[in-house]
Amino acid sequence: MSKIKVSKIKVIKIWRASSLSFQLSSLVVFAVFLCGLVNPLISYDPVLDVDLSRRDLAPSLSFVMGTDGQGRSVGLRLLKGVEAFFFPGLIAGFFAALIGGGLGAICGYLGGWVGRSIAAILELIDTLPRMVFLVLICTIYPPSILLIAMISCLLFIPSIATVVRRKVESLGAEDYILAHVAHGFHPLKIISYHILWLQCRALLTRQLIFVFSYVLFIETALSYLGDYGVQEPYPSWGNMVAQSRISVAAWPWAIPAVAIIVTIAALLAFGDGIARRDEEVKR
Amino acid sequence: MNQEAASQKSVTSSSLHDHRPAERSPLMTWIGWVVSKLARGLSLLIGSSFIIYTVLRSAPGDMVDLILGLNGTPEMKADLRAEFGLDLSLVEGYLGWASRALTGDLGISITFMPGEPVLELAGPAFLVTLGIAIVSLFMSIAVAYGLAIFLGPPRPRQTLLLGPIQLLNAAPSFVVAICLAKLINELIQFQLAGGGQIPPSWYPIPTYQRLSDSIAPFVFAALSISLGDGLFTDLFNALRSELNNLSNSLFINAVRAKGASVRPHLVKNLIVPTLSIFTARLPLVLSAVVIVEYIFTLDGSGYLLLQAAKNRDVPVVVGVSLFFILAVIVMNLILDLVKALVDPREVAKGE
Repeated sequence: MSKIKVSKIKVIKIWRASSLSFQLSSLVVFAVFLCGLVNPLISYDPVLDVDLSRRDLAPSLSFVMGTDGQGRSVGLRLLKGVEAFFFPGLIAGFFAALIGGGLGAICGYLGGWVGRSIAAILELIDTLPRMVFLVLICTIYPPSILLIAMISCLLFIPSIATVVRRKVESLGAEDYILAHVAHGFHPLKIISYHILWLQCRALLTRQLIFVFSYVLFIETALSYLGDYGVQEPYPSWGNMVAQSRISVAAWPWAIPAVAIIVTIAALLAFGDGIARRDEEVKR
Repeated sequence: MNQEAASQKSVTSSSLHDHRPAERSPLMTWIGWVVSKLARGLSLLIGSSFIIYTVLRSAPGDMVDLILGLNGTPEMKADLRAEFGLDLSLVEGYLGWASRALTGDLGISITFMPGEPVLELAGPAFLVTLGIAIVSLFMSIAVAYGLAIFLGPPRPRQTLLLGPIQLLNAAPSFVVAICLAKLINELIQFQLAGGGQIPPSWYPIPTYQRLSDSIAPFVFAALSISLGDGLFTDLFNALRSELNNLSNSLFINAVRAKGASVRPHLVKNLIVPTLSIFTARLPLVLSAVVIVEYIFTLDGSGYLLLQAAKNRDVPVVVGVSLFFILAVIVMNLILDLVKALVDPREVAKGE
């Protein structure tokens, strides 16, 4: 009981100490996560939702965000559209942080020709323009959102590895790491626990959030272009914009477009806030 | 330079050689630097084209059937097999394919523009793409630089103005493009080519009769790329903090004390950080061009790439991808060279 109380007070303290942008962005991120977790529980039939008698209705009490050109509720579709990027984004972010962090730490810790050859391979992947490579993959393999997420995970491993490598290189000469080495700890333990977990936690969280926001971006972009992302009639934020971009009413395309911008902005600010807080705590 | 924690020996031996000026003449240092940069670019080109070739080979099922679909004749199949070297081993096939690509033989389009050589499709289209990318980079840098100089050092009152700029960081370029097209078409009753509509997959490459017809979409495409995807925000933030550091530095104070104009010194010192951002941003900008070109139906290679991908025209997609990779590597070389000319310390370091 007392433990819960302490953590509650701590949360309130952190909340009060953080800046307004961090508070706002964490609220948005929390809302998106809630939508993503609740999503599998909501049953939504995109075909039954079509009702041509209520086309292009303005936002009102019964339809909070209005209806689109086919009379479907924009609000409900927006909520259901979270599903398209939520789990793929989380999976991609998690694996990118895991693999990128691991490779970066190995590179920075071992150095030598092993480190250099890993860095060279990673640099190769970094030269490929991401969008072009994704389109190439989607042409050759049957496109699905999971494939897109896995490829974006692969494409982000180099940048994460570079960030972690720099951090590890700057840490490598620190006295306490040398002390661990002198104590005869296993290198794997030093890399995974003392370096990655204790020192790079916030850094990796930030990168995870960044990859998540990239998957959101690339999913919306590809659904907007059609053919690759989530297909009509199932909603995703990108194909909602694409579907209603020629409609007379503004809200069917403006609301998802604003949702995309606000969510990405909140994710970026949230990641930055976490990294900054971590630096302050260490000082 | 990596410093392994455990081996004290290597640390001391490398620190012995640090800070010692190179024994070579300046010309030799330059030649060595250029050669090492060229070798790096070449190895990147070979490596990334090998990745693309491997992806091609790893296609599920028989790739030739996948490409040609149901209407392929046996001769076409044999041609394609020879083209991609499918009967050979991975390395041999790659060498044959790469040497043919080097001589400009990228195969012919199969479904999108049947019979057209890929090089003739992709080459002119790529010039448009490169043009948009370069124009948008310079547009972004001009506005960011102007705004950073105008605002000066950070002050608390500027939050209202800076908020929207930080929000632009999160706006994907395709959303910016749609908003721009909507806005223009609403405000001045001007029908922008494309104007946010997506062309169907059978739609060929647009040909503009007059130059003036393609100028408006070109300008708006460049504008939306320069604002979207955080390009502008990144440049602005970096320039601002750099400017702040510079104006507090001692040599700028010395210039000021002498009564000379500060601005030329500021500009020269800002070139290197700006070019570094260019280098980091280039693949992202080229990715953004793909989508935005498509939205404005510009006759560039992004449009070509996506239409070919919709028609599953593999030779065209592969050819265009190679052009993109080549562009990234060559532009990086050029940017490195300019950086070294502005700041020769880079060369002296041997990095």
